[in-house]
Amino acid sequence: MDYGLVAKKIYENIGGKENLVSAAHCATRLRLVIADNDKCDSKAVEDIDGVKGVFFASGQLQIILGTGTVNKVYDEFIKVSGVSAATKEEVKQAANAKQNVFKRAIKTLGDIFVPIIPAIVASGFLMGIMEALNFMVNNNFIQLDTTSSVYVFAKLFSNVAYVFLPILIAYSAAKVFGGNPFLGAVIGMIMIHPDLQNAWTVASEGVKVTQSVWFGLYSIDLIGYQGHVIPVIIAVWVMCFIEKRLHKIVPEMFDLFVTPLVSVFVTGYLTYSIIGPVFVFIENHIIDGIQALIALPLGIGSFVMGALYAPTVVAGIHHMYTVIDVGQLARYGVTYWLPLASAANVGQGAATLAVALKTKQTRTKSMALPSAFSAFMGITEPAIFGVNLRYFKPFICGCAGGACGALFASVTQLGATGTGVTGIFGILLCLSAPVKYITMFAISAVVAFVLTWLFGYKDEVPAEKKETVKETVKEEAPVAEPQDMTIYAPLTGNVIAREAIPDETFASGVLGDGVGIEPEVGEVVAPYDGEISSVTDTRHAVGITGPGEMELLIHVGIDTVQMNGDGFELFVKEGDKVKKGQKLIAFDIDKIKAAGFSATTAVLLTNSDDYSAFKVEKTGKTNKMEKIISIEK
Amino acid sequence: MKSFTYKITDPVGIHARPAGLLAKAAKASGSKVTIEANGKSADASKLIALMGLGIKCGQEIVVSIDGGDEANAVDVLEKFFKDNL
Repeated sequence: MDYGLVAKKIYENIGGKENLVSAAHCATRLRLVIADNDKCDSKAVEDIDGVKGVFFASGQLQIILGTGTVNKVYDEFIKVSGVSAATKEEVKQAANAKQNVFKRAIKTLGDIFVPIIPAIVASGFLMGIMEALNFMVNNNFIQLDTTSSVYVFAKLFSNVAYVFLPILIAYSAAKVFGGNPFLGAVIGMIMIHPDLQNAWTVASEGVKVTQSVWFGLYSIDLIGYQGHVIPVIIAVWVMCFIEKRLHKIVPEMFDLFVTPLVSVFVTGYLTYSIIGPVFVFIENHIIDGIQALIALPLGIGSFVMGALYAPTVVAGIHHMYTVIDVGQLARYGVTYWLPLASAANVGQGAATLAVALKTKQTRTKSMALPSAFSAFMGITEPAIFGVNLRYFKPFICGCAGGACGALFASVTQLGATGTGVTGIFGILLCLSAPVKYITMFAISAVVAFVLTWLFGYKDEVPAEKKETVKETVKEEAPVAEPQDMTIYAPLTGNVIAREAIPDETFASGVLGDGVGIEPEVGEVVAPYDGEISSVTDTRHAVGITGPGEMELLIHVGIDTVQMNGDGFELFVKEGDKVKKGQKLIAFDIDKIKAAGFSATTAVLLTNSDDYSAFKVEKTGKTNKMEKIISIEK
Repeated sequence: MKSFTYKITDPVGIHARPAGLLAKAAKASGSKVTIEANGKSADASKLIALMGLGIKCGQEIVVSIDGGDEANAVDVLEKFFKDNL
């Protein structure tokens, strides 16, 4: 085959250089990102000698050329098209990539926070209550025995997860970034070392100690990172980056000593000398900006700030807000800032509540409900990081609610007589105008709730799907994201590694990568939504095409072709569209064993070469419809 | 396009193991290989499609080879069938 000619012909039929954004290839396909698909003559491409197939998928023009051929054509294609040289399109692409970075960042935040949620949801809720009780006791609203063991311990325990939150975040982040989680935790501990000044005290007490760094180049404030999220994640990312590289270059003999020492020390130094000062600089400017913003007339400033409050919590600036509260209290005798903060927190809580009530997924519900209530008491981390940011739209809706509440508070001149509690119990600081406070609360909550309910959240699996799945799977309604490249267990039984399948052909991987399942129940169900691409007359094997062109072979038993269909019942035919969990084959395990065969069922992705990642998620005893394999393109 | 016919001698026909080998061979040939039997045809590089043909021992099949180095592919595949099927 003349690779150069094939490449040239492909290039001629895709609408010219301006239309070509980028080129890449996988094991079998040339993957081109095309600006305008209509300008591209895919029919003509298909007719080129050597091209085995052409189609548009996942925003790419995919040209099937085959293993061993595609890389050679790709090399020629790069030469003819000059795609690697900078083009206008690459700028556009860079813009897209930027958006993806943002999306990826949100996803990373979610991945880091979700494992922490059990530690912070309940304690956030309790902390809200304890802070309110404490405030009420101190201000003589209620009489309570604060020396009782329950009170003392509840107060002691409830805020621990928040006091040490950077450690939890660092541990989780290190896992996500592929570093050693314990080293990550050490970075978290370094950032809130008890010998350092607590970040929360800076607003009231000022910076106490400074430290000269980089051999006297400049000085930094020696302050901890309590209440911070983003700097911790950045620091851990840096640590993982260093750690992973060191693992590669440090000789194994010294790896255990040198790698942790160097990665922790370097990261710690960089964190305090660079990340810290940059954040302090940004924070100070943002605080100045906020002061100027809220001074704007007609509630405009408050409206904008009500919306921006939650993002500043994400950035970790909120610990500086005491400055604003204290400043206003000194100047006006009341603080207009606290109602604004309250509105913003309530907005996030209401958005989370809407998610909690709307979702049909038990997991999401059980997380969102307590998160919402703890946000109503002023502790917003679980709501923001655990729920709203993950789905993102609820976050925006929550901000909108906060903006409306803050606008109302500003227009009606609602001021608080102190600082320390927001949300429901914030009313105690506004006892001169309780109706205004309640109205503000209601406005924030209703706006955020209604917006989220209408536009902000949708379960990723449409609810009606559950009904359309045949009654055979009633007991296990599958829950999954759409278009995900996941293979769910088609049988109940013991999942074993592909290599352990007692048949050389399956075990060798020549038919594709996969797993074996030693069945406990004689039933095969569809592992994903898809189409039956082949069945055999002997009814013991079925091929099914699914999301991302996955082609899965489910072959019941070893050598069972010789049973000629006896003991097998097939419920689908070629071309049938099937839903995940739908029954495909019923078989008689005892009959297979009686005939002298193994019932071990091969579940193989026959085109596994086409994907970049193939990961077995679960082995051992597994129920049907549990996640067993995940694929990445 | 080149083609040849072949009579299957493998006792289980073109089933999992031989089908997997055939799919590999077809992919490696760099040509488009099509198998016809039972009034159906399938792309030989697709394992599941191959198995879907339900080809049994003793059946005659038609193997067509299109594109790439056809002459060489015919030789390779003919030898493959004799050795494996």
